[in-house]
Amino acid sequence: MKIDIEKNCPFNSVHTPSGDVVLSSRSRLARNLEGFPFVNRATASDCIEVTSLLHTLTKPTNDSTTLEWVNMEELDSITTELFVERHLVSSTLAHASHPRAIAVGPELSRSVMVNEEDHIRIQSIRPGLQLHETLEDVKALDSQIEEIISYAFDDQLGFLTACPTNVGTGARFSAMLHLPGLRIINDLQRVHNACEDLSLAIRGYRGEGSGTVADLFQVSNQVTLGSTQQDLCKVLADDFLPPVIEWERKARDFIVDKQKSKLDDQTFRSLGVLQNARLLTAEEAMQCLGNIRLGVCMQLVDSISVQKINQLMIELHPAHIKHKYGIELTDEEVQHCRATLIRNSFQT
Amino acid sequence: MPTCDQCNQPAVYHDVRIVDGVHNTTHLCIEHAYEAGVDLGPVDISSVLQSAAPTEPIKSCSDCGMTIPQYKANSLLGCPACYEMFREELTPIIAKVQNTHTKHVGRSPNQTTVDMDRQLQIRRLLQQLDSAVHLEQYEDAAHLRDKIRELDQTGGQSEN
Repeated sequence: MKIDIEKNCPFNSVHTPSGDVVLSSRSRLARNLEGFPFVNRATASDCIEVTSLLHTLTKPTNDSTTLEWVNMEELDSITTELFVERHLVSSTLAHASHPRAIAVGPELSRSVMVNEEDHIRIQSIRPGLQLHETLEDVKALDSQIEEIISYAFDDQLGFLTACPTNVGTGARFSAMLHLPGLRIINDLQRVHNACEDLSLAIRGYRGEGSGTVADLFQVSNQVTLGSTQQDLCKVLADDFLPPVIEWERKARDFIVDKQKSKLDDQTFRSLGVLQNARLLTAEEAMQCLGNIRLGVCMQLVDSISVQKINQLMIELHPAHIKHKYGIELTDEEVQHCRATLIRNSFQT
Repeated sequence: MPTCDQCNQPAVYHDVRIVDGVHNTTHLCIEHAYEAGVDLGPVDISSVLQSAAPTEPIKSCSDCGMTIPQYKANSLLGCPACYEMFREELTPIIAKVQNTHTKHVGRSPNQTTVDMDRQLQIRRLLQQLDSAVHLEQYEDAAHLRDKIRELDQTGGQSEN
């Protein structure tokens, strides 16, 4: 595989609009091929046929943005998990046993999952608030794919998907938000109410059913039918996020103004842990990085950048640690390597 | 199911006698069987009720065989044709999960490309060829093979 995991971390980008509150933006389109059963009812030969039809998507051209094709069965377990930790593939695709593949952009932000719940899941993920940009990315891939295959479509229901919760546009937009300020001043209910008003779902860091980690929340559209994909994107990007970003910034200013010593304590206590710990669980590391992230945004800490923290929040996960330090590591050794990786990041 | 000789209820007692080469058949419902003094033994009421109830065949998708109970078990449909087959059953489900929306707005796909049509035709013909060979219908198989070759060559020419 030509992709260099070390060099390609879109979360370490300097271009992160509203990056103090929005960690990343993601667009995803679900599509299926006409004339084939959906993946849950497909035979192995159907799946192979779907992958071979889509393989032409990655035919070598002179274009530097061409996707690289990877058959999931040929991928080692660490790289597979690493792709999950990067949100490039879903856990469903990673752990299935039927023939499936992924086409990935060289910058590791665009991907096309083949034979996930639907035949095709087109995805783009970018740092900061760049939802409209990710929509443009997936639209371009959508048109490219449409040149080689026909989509399952119904005039009344739009793009047909295995689960009716995705039917219509097949479009799901999401943003990963860091909301420590609203949590501290106990005003998260406001965000939940806004989600309800706009038919948006709010979840924890790891999606559906996951708890809250490091004050990180994932917000996405619940409805995929009855509005255009542009309008669904606008609801999240233009109606929901700007006020929420403002509420979070005001909450942070309020804390600096009224609860400075509490904020100082939380920030430097976490910094002390990360600069000195010899064993770190992913959860503790995430929690401390979340606290320090708030301190960095409020200019209390200048030994690390927000971008570096974003990158560490991905790289501290087990498969990334094993990829960097050795695949045979025990759980304790993973914790030790994680502590070393983070400690070193604060020294440079 | 045979009905009672004396009324139109489903029969639970059946008697066939051959006397001097002549068949005599008697069918009786539970009520008339008791009246005639027939010993029916222990009666399973639920099976009698079940056999009396009208049974409707479970609707399944003509393309993939999926049924609504199967869909309800894992919330996933089997193929694009399921949406047409189960439109009536799915409309309220879709309205519920899609916040009352039932009509797509926005982008439609481009017109089906000729090449994809050709590939789908070849795929269907290959499936028919498989079953023709399996059933030893070699004349049909040869005919299908020629059709596939013809389509394959058409594609090769258009790609050049």
